[in-house]
Amino acid sequence: MSPEPDRDEWVTRLRSDSDDRDAAIEELRGIILRGLSRSLNHRYGGCLQAEDVVQDALLKILDSLDRFEGRSRFTTWAMTVATRVGISELRRKHCQDVSLDSLKPEDSMKIEVEDDEEASPAQRMDRKFLTQRLKDLISSELSGKQKIAVRALLEGMPVEEIASRTGSNRNAVYKLVHDARLKLREGFEQAGIVADDVTTIFA
Amino acid sequence: MPLSEEQIAKLLGMVAASEADCIDCDKCFDHLAEFAEAELTHREIPDAMKHIQVHLEQCPCCHDEFTALMTALRTLEGEVTSG
Repeated sequence: MSPEPDRDEWVTRLRSDSDDRDAAIEELRGIILRGLSRSLNHRYGGCLQAEDVVQDALLKILDSLDRFEGRSRFTTWAMTVATRVGISELRRKHCQDVSLDSLKPEDSMKIEVEDDEEASPAQRMDRKFLTQRLKDLISSELSGKQKIAVRALLEGMPVEEIASRTGSNRNAVYKLVHDARLKLREGFEQAGIVADDVTTIFA
Repeated sequence: MPLSEEQIAKLLGMVAASEADCIDCDKCFDHLAEFAEAELTHREIPDAMKHIQVHLEQCPCCHDEFTALMTALRTLEGEVTSG
């Protein structure tokens, strides 16, 4: 990161109407490009290059200058904005051919677990008990929307993409899934199943 | 199609790791830059920012963005220290 003696300097330059604005934009473009070139590499199948999103990222940064409150360096904040733009576009491209249309609430969280004949009788019983409890909890505690969102997440679809396909927003889908997790956890705890049991039985 | 055993294990892992989270993704984003700088300089995370840490542990999307951000910032930091 370059030294930034004056946090307001960037904002002043980027808001000016002189040649210095162009110079500041070009300088910022170089910083964003170098950062994104490394950070976007190999993510989501590497379906995007930093050059593809740097312009959108710059526009977003310039549009959002009012939201920079000086709690961090300007370049750190700008890179945070650019990262979200870049990752969002990566996710969109990566999931563009995936549809949620086939997911129906009634069978999106269907569970059919085969008996593990190589496990000990105690392990088989634990597994059967946990599986049945999980089925019961999914059926009684989760709404249709929660079932679809959780299944989509388990299929590898990011929350942001689930939101765009269900006409919702990222915060709402995150809350939907998070509430589902807490309900399931609470239901397990009420049945005397603690977190360690939950993870080890199906490890 | 039923959930695969791998998906069931992933779901159970998510359930076991779930904690109450008092903020959403937008609030996390608003404070991510300062949180990243604290991480980058190995400063202790102030109590006021502990909820960012909790959210990053709970939200795979924000965690993913934070990891990418740290990679970008470390790349730029490396340019300064090596140059």
